[in-house]
Amino acid sequence: MSDLRPKHIGAPIKRVEDPRLLAGQGQFTDDRAVPGALHVAFRRSDHAHAEIAAIDAARAAALPGVFAVYTAADLDLPPLVATSRMRDYRATALHPLARGKVRHVGEPVAAVLAESRYVAEDALDLVEIAYRPLPALVDPETAAAAGAPLLHEEAGSNVLAAREFARGDAAAALAAAAVRVGGRFRLRRKAPLALENRACLAEWDRGRRALTLTLSTQVPGIVHEALAELLGLPGHALRVVAPDVGGGFGGKASLYPEEIVVAALAKKLGRAVRWTGDRLEDLAATSQGFDEIVEAELGLDADGAIVALSAEAIGDVGAYSIYPWTAALEPVQVVSFLPGPYRVPAYRGRVRAVATDKAPTGPYRGVGRPAAVFVTERLIDMAARRLGLDPAELRRRNLVRDDEFPYRTPSGIVWDRCGFRETLDRALAAIGYEALRREQERARGAGRLVGIGIATYAELTGIGSRISAAPGMPINTGTETATLRLDATGAVTALFGIASHGQGLETTLAQVIADELGARLADIRIVHGDSAAVAHGTGSYASRSAVLAGGAATAAARLLKERVLRAAAHLLEAAAADLDAADGRIFVAGTDRSLSFREVARAVHSEMGRLPPEAREELEVTRTYDPVFGTTTAATHVALVEIDRGTGKATILRYVVAEDCGRVINPLIVDGQVHGAVAQGIGAALYEEVVYDEAGQLLTASLADYVIPGAGEVPEIETIHLDGESPSTLGGFRGMGEGGTIGAPAAIANALADALGRDVCELPMTPERIFRLMEG
Amino acid sequence: MIRVRTTVNGVAYEREVEPRLLLSDFLRHTLGLTGTHVGCEHGVCGACTVLVDGRSARSCLMFAVQADGLAIDTVEGLGEVEALAPLQQAFRDHHALQCGFCTPGMLMTALDLLRHRPGAGDAEIRDLLSGNLCRCTGYQHIVAALRALRK
Amino acid sequence: MKPAAFDYFRPDSVDAAVTALAASGGEAKLLAGGQSLVPLLNFRMARPRLLIDINRLAALDFVAEDGAGGLRIGALTRHRTLETAEPVRRLFPVVAAAMRHVAHLAIRNRGTLGGSLAHADPAAELPLLAVLLDAELHSNRGRHAAAGFFLGPLTTALGDDELLTEIALPALPPHTGWGFEEFALRRGDFAFAAVAALLTVADGRIAAARLAAGGVGEVPQRLGEIEASLVGAGREALAAAARRAAALVEPASDLRASAEYRRHLVGVLAERALNAAWVRAQ
Repeated sequence: MSDLRPKHIGAPIKRVEDPRLLAGQGQFTDDRAVPGALHVAFRRSDHAHAEIAAIDAARAAALPGVFAVYTAADLDLPPLVATSRMRDYRATALHPLARGKVRHVGEPVAAVLAESRYVAEDALDLVEIAYRPLPALVDPETAAAAGAPLLHEEAGSNVLAAREFARGDAAAALAAAAVRVGGRFRLRRKAPLALENRACLAEWDRGRRALTLTLSTQVPGIVHEALAELLGLPGHALRVVAPDVGGGFGGKASLYPEEIVVAALAKKLGRAVRWTGDRLEDLAATSQGFDEIVEAELGLDADGAIVALSAEAIGDVGAYSIYPWTAALEPVQVVSFLPGPYRVPAYRGRVRAVATDKAPTGPYRGVGRPAAVFVTERLIDMAARRLGLDPAELRRRNLVRDDEFPYRTPSGIVWDRCGFRETLDRALAAIGYEALRREQERARGAGRLVGIGIATYAELTGIGSRISAAPGMPINTGTETATLRLDATGAVTALFGIASHGQGLETTLAQVIADELGARLADIRIVHGDSAAVAHGTGSYASRSAVLAGGAATAAARLLKERVLRAAAHLLEAAAADLDAADGRIFVAGTDRSLSFREVARAVHSEMGRLPPEAREELEVTRTYDPVFGTTTAATHVALVEIDRGTGKATILRYVVAEDCGRVINPLIVDGQVHGAVAQGIGAALYEEVVYDEAGQLLTASLADYVIPGAGEVPEIETIHLDGESPSTLGGFRGMGEGGTIGAPAAIANALADALGRDVCELPMTPERIFRLMEG
Repeated sequence: MIRVRTTVNGVAYEREVEPRLLLSDFLRHTLGLTGTHVGCEHGVCGACTVLVDGRSARSCLMFAVQADGLAIDTVEGLGEVEALAPLQQAFRDHHALQCGFCTPGMLMTALDLLRHRPGAGDAEIRDLLSGNLCRCTGYQHIVAALRALRK
Repeated sequence: MKPAAFDYFRPDSVDAAVTALAASGGEAKLLAGGQSLVPLLNFRMARPRLLIDINRLAALDFVAEDGAGGLRIGALTRHRTLETAEPVRRLFPVVAAAMRHVAHLAIRNRGTLGGSLAHADPAAELPLLAVLLDAELHSNRGRHAAAGFFLGPLTTALGDDELLTEIALPALPPHTGWGFEEFALRRGDFAFAAVAALLTVADGRIAAARLAAGGVGEVPQRLGEIEASLVGAGREALAAAARRAAALVEPASDLRASAEYRRHLVGVLAERALNAAWVRAQ
């Protein structure tokens, strides 16, 4: 009799995705060969803000090998508008090819269609565009001021969204506080920089009058819904497929002008049309993130208990409100998450989302929380210094306690039971905190600049229908659907609306199903990244796939298992209650009688009359899961950093993460996500910055200038998992893909401040900035 | 058009190409070997790394015409889906890939590293991998895979 | 990012290369390692009408001792060779050490000595070393002393029909120690600043000194004033020399680093390089 307890969930199972990816047999969008497809190159604006006076594409169109050149006038497409019910939100119209005006360097103005990308780029040079330059709006504070030139005349203001959260009277509480610390914090613009540039391929089937769009995307469901409407196609005549996708991190979670143009051209011409972006285009036109200015103040009593937190923030959201998330996405989360995992009796957080002549801001790993945690964790350390308290101790005094869950934060977010204190204790134990402080003293005595930085944070993951990432945005992020199908060969096909792009969902979802259904892992195939797979789905973003798809898979697998057992009971002439399943077999308890899934499935599907009609089971189940509120994930990061006194170079000597990410499905994958997210956090803390000059020209226009961490810049990261099931989700999973990026910038900032004995209020802290802090 | 005679993964090819056709595009689109990926086309990210006469090189910084008379090795020559090479298996065992886009270039660099610097310790491994950017893994499992192969 | 169209010629002799170069009227570019040139072509920042591929000129790929403690190195010698060749490690360890900072493995496999010198990036290691070592650059038209070869960023004294063939490194005196310090944001990035030093020490006194800074001016520069002032001095003079080096350079500010920070780096790196050279000279 085999052990029937779950054995795939929690196991470090090697990924199903790997053999094809390792053997170079992956299928990324540009890999798909379509003979006769036309290649698109986009002529993009080299002005930050200008009226388009005239476009003359005659010479370009006449170049041998060029099929045609298109502008907005030729395409006649409606603009893309991200809507929101938020008060104080102003929508902006994004024309897939610029119409009338350009609003950022890199905005697509014309599309050249040619027999090859090489020829298409030759033609780009020949497109003549006359611009009437307008004043560039590059500084968000200037753009927000009254009387500033308008980026979008119809919007009437450059402040595209504004939001405030409040509890109690923060101003009064601050005024009365025994201790007040504050600062102006600046987190600078980042690019998600997936290794695979955005790419799409649209193929029009003339016979069926249907379009298949192969797209390097995280959100095939979102693209499907919006594009069907934009192109006037019924949903069954459009299929959006995300094949192998080389990373996303949020940069591929929106609908972009390029795919609208490519799809529209394919439909219009009845041919295959494709565009593979290059890195220049990625840096100029893929959504960016983390561009925030936060003026914040923390008030505490004499014992170090927080009495109030107040913040005024500006988010620089670039030239357009991105679809579907809206420009409010990141800025609102900065202030809604600012109180963090702490007890904050009085709070006021106000934010404005301001348009500037830069690439639109969109989701980027962590979305608003990296900024919020940077600010709050810096304030905590500043307060600890002022009070003469150990920063770990100050956190202990203020973290929400176990007996206070569920805890409602000032912005209405509810933390369910999560190990806030425990992550702090375990991270400090793992790094040997007491001994490390003593070692730090010795190092300081020897003249070395060594710092220890802590960051504790909480995030809401797996959000359901009652939590909106951006209130009133035009999509439903609260549910995911799973369809499980057992065929006559005993194989299980599981279809989902999520779209795995590195996080190993083809493996982890199979692990969940194997345990819940009792099937063998090898008999399960996960289908994802396809708008045709289930009736509705959106995709993978916001640390939701394990929770929502895992929950839907759990529900569907349990129901399918019931049906399989009932059919098996009939075939085995036993009571269903005496049956269980594991490893692809159904057993009768206390006997050695069993049937394979294959035998049961064959009996149901193919052996006519084997089961009486009333005993037939439907061996396909669809379940949609809504976690309603979502669940809390938390972690503590501790960084040990040394700064070279001479050069200002910061080296991370040790890095520890203790996280409560709920029930771990695959520890290898969880570790990988932590490492990768921390690496991005290190990039945000020390290396990465998108830079525009005063004229709105993009200065970081290559990978030599936008610099991400390489193997030499990321230390070994020690991870500790608190394997605590979420009380709120089906399956007990919590999302954890973004945590590293949320905690690392703050932990490193605190370590730098600790090393220098100075306030660190700006990231990235490049060697130049560290040098200035040392000198100043 | 210029005639190119080159060997890729031990197989001889002869094609007529435009001089400006990048080696990366030649491999991917002329020969259909799409395992080699393109990430930047300015020699920084390393996704396009192949072996040229046994040494790692960026295929986005070479033209197909330069491959005339040379032997190129790409990821497709390393192993099969059903029979991964020890290097590929080590990557799998240690979860050294996530999205897989940087992986072929990473593998070819690792091959160069293992052949020509077999004694490299962790620090040197990280140094030698510095020309291959990965946005997913944080590099730790990749280093672990190579460390395991050295034993 | 695809390059604009060009014609392609692959000569099998230096003469054929030179003839093609001369006939091109300044519209041709030599393709050696391509690690600096091809990105420019892909960005369409350079659009030569003709590319002359000199990679098969095996006669230009060599490392030979001149019998007097110096080296003759062919212009087509790959960076990887300079990093690992035994004669280079023995006679000019500063070169072997500096090569480890040059970009990344794959780039060192293709990039060439002649290519790097002709490209003349102000932050590149090889031009700095050429200037430090008083290299003599030979071409089909004659010789150039390294001192006058680099004229500005990406600009050298090479004529339109000129092709570097070999570089001669004169022998260093015995008891010469070296130091090479570079600061870059990440491993393999272009230097914000680099300092190379050679000190010949006898009886506890500096008999000869060379100090060169790169990445902090339009061209790599020898700091002759400081070199002269170090002759006859002892180790205690090094710190002050490093401070003077910082004062002497006139770096520019750019996206990566300000002039002030670069100047500061020169002081830090010069002190480290000079001290390392002193220790190695013992």
